[in-house]
Amino acid sequence: MTPGLHVRQLHKRYGDFAALTDVSFTVREGEVLGLIGPNGAGKTTLFECIAGVLPADSGTVMVKGQQVPGTDRGAHLFFMPDGIAPWAAQTVAWALDFTLGFFGGDSARLPGVIERLQIEPLMRRSVGTLSKGERKRVLLAIAMLTPQPLMMADEPFDGLDLRQSREVGAALREHAAAGRTVFLSIHQIADAARVCDRFVLLSAGHVCGEGTLDELTAFARARRAEAEPDDPRRGRASPDGLEEVVLALT
Amino acid sequence: MLLLIGPLVGMSFISAVRTYGELSGVNGTAAGVGEAFSPLIGIWAPTFSACELAAAFLLPFVAIRLVSGDRQSGALKLELQHPMPAMARMSAKGLVLLAAWVVASVPPLIGIVLWKIYGGTTYAPELAAVFAGHLLNAGLTVALACATASFTDHPSTAAILTLGVTVGTWILNFVAAVHGGLWDRAASYTPTAMVAEFQHGLVRLDAVLVAATLIALGCGLGAIWMRLGVPERRRVGESLTAGVGALVAIVVFARITASWDASEARANSFPRPDETTLARISGRLRIVVHLAAEDPRRVDLEQRALSKLRRARPDVQVRYAAATSTGLFEQTSEHYGEIWYELSDRKVISRATTADGVLGSIYEVAGLSAPALAEEDIFRGHPLAAEPMGAAALFYGIWPAAVGAAALWNRRRDS
Repeated sequence: MTPGLHVRQLHKRYGDFAALTDVSFTVREGEVLGLIGPNGAGKTTLFECIAGVLPADSGTVMVKGQQVPGTDRGAHLFFMPDGIAPWAAQTVAWALDFTLGFFGGDSARLPGVIERLQIEPLMRRSVGTLSKGERKRVLLAIAMLTPQPLMMADEPFDGLDLRQSREVGAALREHAAAGRTVFLSIHQIADAARVCDRFVLLSAGHVCGEGTLDELTAFARARRAEAEPDDPRRGRASPDGLEEVVLALT
Repeated sequence: MLLLIGPLVGMSFISAVRTYGELSGVNGTAAGVGEAFSPLIGIWAPTFSACELAAAFLLPFVAIRLVSGDRQSGALKLELQHPMPAMARMSAKGLVLLAAWVVASVPPLIGIVLWKIYGGTTYAPELAAVFAGHLLNAGLTVALACATASFTDHPSTAAILTLGVTVGTWILNFVAAVHGGLWDRAASYTPTAMVAEFQHGLVRLDAVLVAATLIALGCGLGAIWMRLGVPERRRVGESLTAGVGALVAIVVFARITASWDASEARANSFPRPDETTLARISGRLRIVVHLAAEDPRRVDLEQRALSKLRRARPDVQVRYAAATSTGLFEQTSEHYGEIWYELSDRKVISRATTADGVLGSIYEVAGLSAPALAEEDIFRGHPLAAEPMGAAALFYGIWPAAVGAAALWNRRRDS
C-alpha cells in the first residue's frame, strides 16, 4: 500500500486546553485505517481538522506529497461527522440524490449502497425522523456515494446493534476493497479490530502508536519492557488483542 | 410566513379599498385633491405595507432557519467539503429566499387583479417601483439574517441580533427626526425610509446602490463566517476589509443624485412646466430654513417642496438654521419660521412651506414669472367608489386554505 495522506505535526488548542499535540501519521491508499482512543482523546477534533471544517493551529496535511490547504481538501477526502442530521426535513431519497448531484458521485452505485446498508425501507422517510441507528446507516450511505478517494467517518458503528455493526463493517470492507481508502474514528475496540487493517492510537491529543495489530502489540511489549525492566514477567506477559494493546499504550 | 401574509395583505387591502371608495363617493374628482385619489398612495402603499411587516418580523426567521439550520443539523459540515466558493453557496441560499419572498408577494398581486376587476386603474411603473422597493427590503432582511446566522452558533441568537438591527434602524429614524442633518441622511438609507420612498413611486439610484451594497456585504459576511475551517482571526480580517470596502462604496454612492419619479401623479416632482422654468435659473440657489428639526412645518417643507426641488435642481443648497431640535423656545426669536431664498445678490423671505409657496418665492428671487399649467400637467386622480367584493373570502379563507393544502400535499408526498 502506498502512502495516500500524511498528517504532520498537527496542533489544536481550545483556549488553554491542548486538544491535539504534534499529531503525525500516515493513511495508506486502499487501507481501512482506524483512529482509536478513549472519549475526549481528540478523535473528532482531529477528523475535523483533517477535513478542513475546523482550523488547526499548525501542522500540515499532505496528499501524495503535496500540501493541501484546508479549503481544498474536499477534492481529496470526504468526512462524515458523527451525530448530525443533515437536511432533516428532506427524505432519505432526496438526501442521497442531492449527495450524488452535489458531490458528483456515481449514481450507478446507488442501488448497491441502498441494498448493502439496508436502507430501502427508509427511503421515503424524512432524515429528521430516523432513529440513531437508521440515521447512521443513511449517513454512511451518503459517505459511500461521494467520489473522493478517501472516506472518513466519525464513529460509524455508534448507535448500531451487533448485527448491524457487523453488516456495516462488512460493507465498509467491501467499499475499501473496491478501491477506496477508508479512515474510521472508532471508540469500540471490538468493531475496530474486526474492520481495520491498521490503527492509529490517540490519547489526550497525542498519537500513542500507529501500525497493524502485530506492530502495535510488539510496540506495547517493548514499552512495557522499558517501563518495568526488573519485572520477571517481562517478555512473556504480552498484551493480548487490540483491547489490551490500547490499554497498554493509552 | 405564506400562511400569515395572505390575511395581513387582505386586511390592508380591504381597509384601503373601503377608505378609497368612501372618499371617492363623497369628494368626486375636483382638481387639487386628485393626488388623494392616486391608487399608489390610496391602495398600493397600504396593501404592500403588509409585506414590510412580514419582511421585518417573519422573513428573518425563515432566512435564519435556512442558514442556521444547516449549521445546527451538521449539513454545513458536509456542504463545506464541496469546492463551491462560499460566496456562491451563500448567494444560492439568498436567491432561494428571495424566490420564496416572490411567492409570498402573490397576495398583493392578487390585490392588483381584484382592483382591476373592481374597475380600478393601475399604472405599471409605480407598481413596479413598489414591488422593487419591497424586494430590495426583503433582500436587506435576508442579507442581514444570513450574516447574523453565520456569526452565531444558535438561531435564537441570530434572531435577537437581526431584530436588534431592525429596531436600531427605527431608533436611527427617530434620532434623525429629532436632530436632522447627517442623521437624516443616514436614516434615508434605512429599510423603512427606503420602502416609504418606493411606496411613493420615488426610485433613488443612490438608495438602490446603497441597498445593493448592504445586501452584498451581508451575503459576504455570511459567506466569510460560514467557512468554519478558516481561522477566526483571518475571518475577522476579511470581515473588516469587506466592511471598509462597503463603507467606501456607500460614501461614493451617497453622492449620486439621480432619481426617477415612477408615480403617475408625479408625487415626487414639480409639474413639468415648473421643472423647465427651474432649470432655466442660472446661478446657485441657496435656501436658509429657520425651522427646528421637529417642527411639523419643516417636515411639510421637506416632503412637499424641498425633496422635489432637490430632484429638479440637485445643485440647490439648503441650510437649516435652528438652534434647537424642537424649536419650542425659538418661536419668539426674530427669524424663526422664516425661509430665506438667496440667488446672486437677491434675497426673498417667506414663511410658506407648500410647493406652490416655495416655487413662488424661487421665481420671485430669480425674477421669473410662474409658468402656466396645462390641463395635462394636472393629475386629476382615479376615484373609484367600489366595495372590496370577494377580497375577504380570498385573503382570509381561500389563501390560507391553499397554503395549508400545499403544505399537507408536500408532507404526504414526502412520507
